[in-house]
Amino acid sequence: MKVRTDIVKMYKEIHGWVGIVSGLALFIAFYAGAITMFEEPLQRWATPPAQLAPPVPLERTQELIDRVLAAHPEAADDYQVHLQTGPERPARMTWETDLPGGGGHHEHEIWYAALSPDGALQVTRQGPSPVAELVDVLHQQVGLPFPHEVAMPIMGAVALLYTIAIVSGLIVLLPSLVKDLFAVRIGRNVKRMWLDVHNVLGLFSLPFHLIMALTAIIFAFHDQFYDAQGAAFGGAPPPEAAVAGPAPEADRSVLGPMGVTARLAEQAPGFQPVEIGYGVGRNGIPTVRVSGRDERYGLRGPTLGFAELDPYTGDLTGTDYMPGHQDGWSATVTSFFALHFGNFGGAPVRWSYFLLGIAGAFLFYTGNLLWIESRRRRERKAGAVQQTRSTKVLAVLTVGVPLGCVAGISVTIAAAKPFGASATEGLHSVVYYAVFLAFTGWALVRGASRAGSELLAATALAALSVPATTLLTMGLHPPVVPIVDFLSLILAFALLIMFRRTALRARGGPADSVWANTPQLAATQQG
Amino acid sequence: MKPLSSKDWFGKASAALVLGFTLALAVSGLFKAAMGLKDTYFSTPGQFSMWIMGPVWAFTLSLSFLFASGRRAWVWLALANLVLWSLLWLIGGVAR
Repeated sequence: MKVRTDIVKMYKEIHGWVGIVSGLALFIAFYAGAITMFEEPLQRWATPPAQLAPPVPLERTQELIDRVLAAHPEAADDYQVHLQTGPERPARMTWETDLPGGGGHHEHEIWYAALSPDGALQVTRQGPSPVAELVDVLHQQVGLPFPHEVAMPIMGAVALLYTIAIVSGLIVLLPSLVKDLFAVRIGRNVKRMWLDVHNVLGLFSLPFHLIMALTAIIFAFHDQFYDAQGAAFGGAPPPEAAVAGPAPEADRSVLGPMGVTARLAEQAPGFQPVEIGYGVGRNGIPTVRVSGRDERYGLRGPTLGFAELDPYTGDLTGTDYMPGHQDGWSATVTSFFALHFGNFGGAPVRWSYFLLGIAGAFLFYTGNLLWIESRRRRERKAGAVQQTRSTKVLAVLTVGVPLGCVAGISVTIAAAKPFGASATEGLHSVVYYAVFLAFTGWALVRGASRAGSELLAATALAALSVPATTLLTMGLHPPVVPIVDFLSLILAFALLIMFRRTALRARGGPADSVWANTPQLAATQQG
Repeated sequence: MKPLSSKDWFGKASAALVLGFTLALAVSGLFKAAMGLKDTYFSTPGQFSMWIMGPVWAFTLSLSFLFASGRRAWVWLALANLVLWSLLWLIGGVAR
């Protein structure tokens, strides 16, 4: 396809600059995002054996609820019954309380309740391991340690740059699309090879990247968009009376968990309920919301969709977010979320998203390599032997930031087992950023070439720390979900191969490269 | 015709960042008016109208570099805004 050469040239420059500004942030978002595909298995792997007694059978749930509400009346406004339990959902019943001074995101505490074998009520704040949540936050905030309100607009700006990168990359590729599409020329021309790899990866995952960019813009700015719409078009939420359902009926009791599941099975046989949320609406009327999944459909939340039920009769009253029971508009909006979360079609789609996420991270990494390689060529033409400061700094960051992110996530996941019950998201965050900053700092001090091989070896060790802690803590923490350890071993093995290749190149590769370990030699050869 | 270059990127991108946003808002408003929606947050067609804003804004920004200059980007995007917002005002879609 023909595109005017000035347009191609302009978009090539734009692609380079938006890529270089957003590439490292996108690497972190994609690597962490790929791991969030397996948030629940990771929670199962990382969560220490429960302190609570095993969950009561479903038939005895009402007894547990009554005991909790007698001892903790504040739970009555908002409690959950978990139909599926496991390490990631350790209790049959949970409730939430607001933290003093909270009100924003994540500002509440969750309490877990069980009945001991002798019938005593057990209550604890010890839930599933928070490490998966940290990885999710790193993903959402492109690795920035700022409060949510600060990090999200920055993420949104990165997502806008990312969209520009996608559009400009496509325009640049169009003229040579047919010629370059299936060609990966591996050979002496390193830049050609990386360009081919970058093009193939980018083009074949184009729909995935468009989805991620456009949904991320909405995730970042939805509050601002809704506010702007409200300011421009009016349309305040309807008054309370208009949304009111049936009046509270003091003489009727709210349907218990057994009743809810039975009524749900009648009305929506394909829907697998996971959690029942009992709450109180703004007008004092009890509410029942059931979260669950149906593998044939996409879900509004990362892992669950939900339905509203009449609290007394169990009739389905709100199915806007219930998989398989949505109208066209709801299903369309849900599809945007589902396409981002990869939560349709079960395990095969999750694995595909995992691989596309890793490939995406690699795409941004190859983009950085290309920027460095193309700078290098220009400088050689201009006769300069020393690489410029900007090329050196970018090479350093291209080594330090991705490896720091990969190693930091591995070490903080491994730390979940020794931390055990004392783990908090803050503690895991400290471990991650300590490793991340140490790696980036090391790269700055040592330079790209030496740090490249040293940090690859260190990252391989970090990956090995995951199966190693599993072995070391076997007594306290019986191993589950061994695939986490297995994938870490594969990661370590891949990093060791890269370590070997990098060490060879530093010695035997072109001396004027930023990756060469022989700067003096280069100077004498050129001089 | 003068060949395009990335030199005037700031003029073009800032025009698209500001006027592309108001353009996206106008498009979502037209959709909302056409659907006869009361609010956006509490209905799924309303949420869809919010979702429209992202792609309109992002693609305006991505393609704004095709304007001949930053000044032209401001002028053309302002005109596009004027047309859409006038239309929206005429059919009564703007809060008064």
